Amino acid sequence: MKTIRKQRLITVLLILTTSALGSFLIIRALDSNLDFFFTPSELFKEEIPNNKRIKVGGMVLEGSVTRDKTNISFVITDYEGSINVKFDGLVPDLFKEGSGVVVLGYLKDKTLIAEDVLAKHDENYMPPNIDLKN
Amino acid sequence: MTVLIRFIIIVITLMFFTFFYLYINDDKYYPGADFTTSDMPDFEIKDLYSERLFNIKDLEGNYLINVWASWCITCRVEHSFLVKLDSKDIPIIGLNYKDEAEDAINWITRFGDPYKYIIHDYKGELALDLGVTGAPETFLLSDGKIIVHYRGEVNDMIWDDVFMPIIKKESLFDAN
Amino acid sequence: MLIEIAHFLSILATGLFFLCFIFSFFLNSKDTYIINLVSRIYTHSFLIFLSSFFIYIWLAITDNFSVLYIAQHSNINLPVFYKVSSIWSAHEGSMFLWIIFLTFWGAIYNIATTNKQLLKARTLGVISLTSVGFLLFLLLTSNPFETILPLPPENGADINPVLQDPLLAIHPPMLYMGYVGFVIAFGQAIAFLFEGDPEIKWEKQVRSWSIASWSFLTLGIALGSWWAYYELGWGGYWFWDPVENVALMPWLAATAFIHSLSASSKSFILRIWTLLLSILVFSLSLFGAFIVRSGIIDSVHSFANDPERGLYLLSFIGLLVMTSLLLFSYRFNNLQSNKKIVSLSKESFISINNIFFGTLIFSTMLGVLYPLIYEFIYDQKISVGAPFYNAIFVPITLIACIFLYFSIDSKWQQSFNFKSLYQPLFLSITASSIIVVLAYYKFLIVSFWTLASLLIGSIIIIRYLIVIYFYFVYRKFANFFSIIAHCGLGLLIISIALNDNLSSERALNIKINETEIYKDYQINFKNLRVVPGPNFDSVKADFVITNPNGKVFTLTPEKRKYFARGQVTTETAIHASALKDIYMTIGDQLDDGSWIVNIQFNVFIRWIWFSAIMMVLAGLLLTHSLSRSRS
Repeated sequence: MKTIRKQRLITVLLILTTSALGSFLIIRALDSNLDFFFTPSELFKEEIPNNKRIKVGGMVLEGSVTRDKTNISFVITDYEGSINVKFDGLVPDLFKEGSGVVVLGYLKDKTLIAEDVLAKHDENYMPPNIDLKN
Repeated sequence: MTVLIRFIIIVITLMFFTFFYLYINDDKYYPGADFTTSDMPDFEIKDLYSERLFNIKDLEGNYLINVWASWCITCRVEHSFLVKLDSKDIPIIGLNYKDEAEDAINWITRFGDPYKYIIHDYKGELALDLGVTGAPETFLLSDGKIIVHYRGEVNDMIWDDVFMPIIKKESLFDAN
Repeated sequence: MLIEIAHFLSILATGLFFLCFIFSFFLNSKDTYIINLVSRIYTHSFLIFLSSFFIYIWLAITDNFSVLYIAQHSNINLPVFYKVSSIWSAHEGSMFLWIIFLTFWGAIYNIATTNKQLLKARTLGVISLTSVGFLLFLLLTSNPFETILPLPPENGADINPVLQDPLLAIHPPMLYMGYVGFVIAFGQAIAFLFEGDPEIKWEKQVRSWSIASWSFLTLGIALGSWWAYYELGWGGYWFWDPVENVALMPWLAATAFIHSLSASSKSFILRIWTLLLSILVFSLSLFGAFIVRSGIIDSVHSFANDPERGLYLLSFIGLLVMTSLLLFSYRFNNLQSNKKIVSLSKESFISINNIFFGTLIFSTMLGVLYPLIYEFIYDQKISVGAPFYNAIFVPITLIACIFLYFSIDSKWQQSFNFKSLYQPLFLSITASSIIVVLAYYKFLIVSFWTLASLLIGSIIIIRYLIVIYFYFVYRKFANFFSIIAHCGLGLLIISIALNDNLSSERALNIKINETEIYKDYQINFKNLRVVPGPNFDSVKADFVITNPNGKVFTLTPEKRKYFARGQVTTETAIHASALKDIYMTIGDQLDDGSWIVNIQFNVFIRWIWFSAIMMVLAGLLLTHSLSRSRS
């Protein structure tokens, strides 16, 4: 009798500890891999470390796009704050001045070094993926 | 033991679905609605019929701007609602978007004109400044400021849930 | 006129399906007469509903623009194929297709199930009830039969050119066939639980249906991945997009399910797992439908919707899931099997496998939901991207594969035969280590995870090759379906690892007649031409590529500008070969006349889809074999 109960207890404890450990590892993986989304004006309200990957969304400021070979620099704005962005590579077709954009990258000395520039496709008249919320 | 399992099932499923329910019902849920206030851009506009030019900033008061086109099917569906708004004396200015003037005029003649005035934005330049990406879209303006930008078809439900709260709060249109 | 008929037929079908459900659950479903009655009502309902759909297709082909949905998504100038596929290009129409497939699976289940009909009537009842739920959703909130009368437009809307693609046309139907096929397993599970007799072997009957559905689901996902690769211009094949993830979760659950099913159909072991998984697979399919159509998630895929639709789907799915789980909890005690799982038997490996898959599903769900929860609580937008999923999926998949390796020698309800383990183990470890060392020296791979993936992927394939060898030489039993599918898995792991590690890309700034060199390849910008197309203007850039061996070929990426809305799309140019794809896109032209172009070397990428095809093939072959042995 007792051994069966003991066995069951061990099984349950084993299950609980592995689940707890597993959940802990998964949640830790989650926390360290989150990309926070900011609008340009929100960006400087917080202290964002240089090694944290972030997403910034807004409009490409008119007249701010400059190119040098494969490098492109531009300014993202939400008409309250703005940030300089530098990117090396091709920008998507929907990218243009006065249009919405989301940039994924790292902050370096008040400039956003972009890994990815996104301007998502819309289906029919679906809006771009940016919400300029206050 | 089984009672416990049953209890857990009910609670977890309820939690799961309550969360989504709350999320959906949350205020900012309407994906097409944008409540950021912005200034009306300074823009020279052309009337669809007369080709007369003037500055859009000259328009005063509270009104709607409705982006439409003859090639836009959903605009056809939205049209009857706009006629209803017009009959309630709500001023709507049409922005004819990337459309041939002839096609636009034919469309209006055929289906009716709910607009106080129609801007012919052939190249979509004003639309671009306003952040328009397609049709139909509707803006609500008050005192030269855009206070609502809705992307998609406006119907009774959208009007009541998205526009009316602000209209009531700011008392924009009398007796509505 | 026709549209009203189609509308009416759908309403009629809804009523008949409901009747079918009522009869199946409120009459004696074991009585042969009732079974036949339910079966016939179901067939009639399905045929009526199918007619409605056929009329709808006819209306699309004949450009009937009085139908609002057809006017919004089709166009006179479209080829017939795309007029038909435009039906499922947006919410209402694709929902229509979804339900057609749902009822279709029920229809073939109906015809094919001729013996052992203990659960047939109630299974049809569950399928009918589910169909009714979705039909009401369709007719009440997402009506494809709405009309624009009295003055219909002369032509439909201009289509998003991205949607005019053969692969994109087939991808949703394949996916839906996969998703909804699991309604049979779900229905049968519910019928079994409802009946409450633990002696009924419901598992055996659903095997072929489930494996067939799994094959379609795998195919659908692979097609989507391939389409994204050549169409979107980024050269990636999986983006961990929330919408991709909600398709992946049912697939994970389905894979676990079919494995668990193979155990439970042989004995009564792992029954609880199998039952739960059957409910889970279908629930995840429905959950996926909800997420995509409710507007909660913004993505390339999501359909714009209003809260009303989201709420309806949410309640319907919630009700379905909760009822099934409660039913399960009521019967739980009856189901406890007396047989214990023998340690190190195949069943034990499968139950461990279930745990691994459960963890993957849990993590993916967390990745999908966490941004929503976070935003709801903290009003701060976050996103969960590839790094999280890679951190979870890579280690778990590799560890699960190690268990897979050992499970090859395991037997049903018996412990291991350790003696037969050693020789193949030694062989496979040696062979795969040689492969890894070769890879290290030839490709200079130093990444731990890549090497580990290579090792484990090859160890599995080699082990199976040994199994094949033993089959031919010693006539030892070999399950070829399992071999093909799992070798596909091994190949998948190897391909993904090599693709991740060895691929590269570079943006080039190049003028006409200039040549750039990248990785010993000469890229010469030969020519730029403007070519008018049917409804667009195209700028084509001809590049002559010379590989290090001197072989020459041309790539012509292009940019298209569509007349109607000025929409610009990029067409990629791909030179495919066994080892790698050379992938080019053009960007913008600079003020000095030079162009920005992107060139990518995607190593082993074709092998990724090939391994998926292997799995699909294994599944289809097994389905065929199972249905043959049944009759």
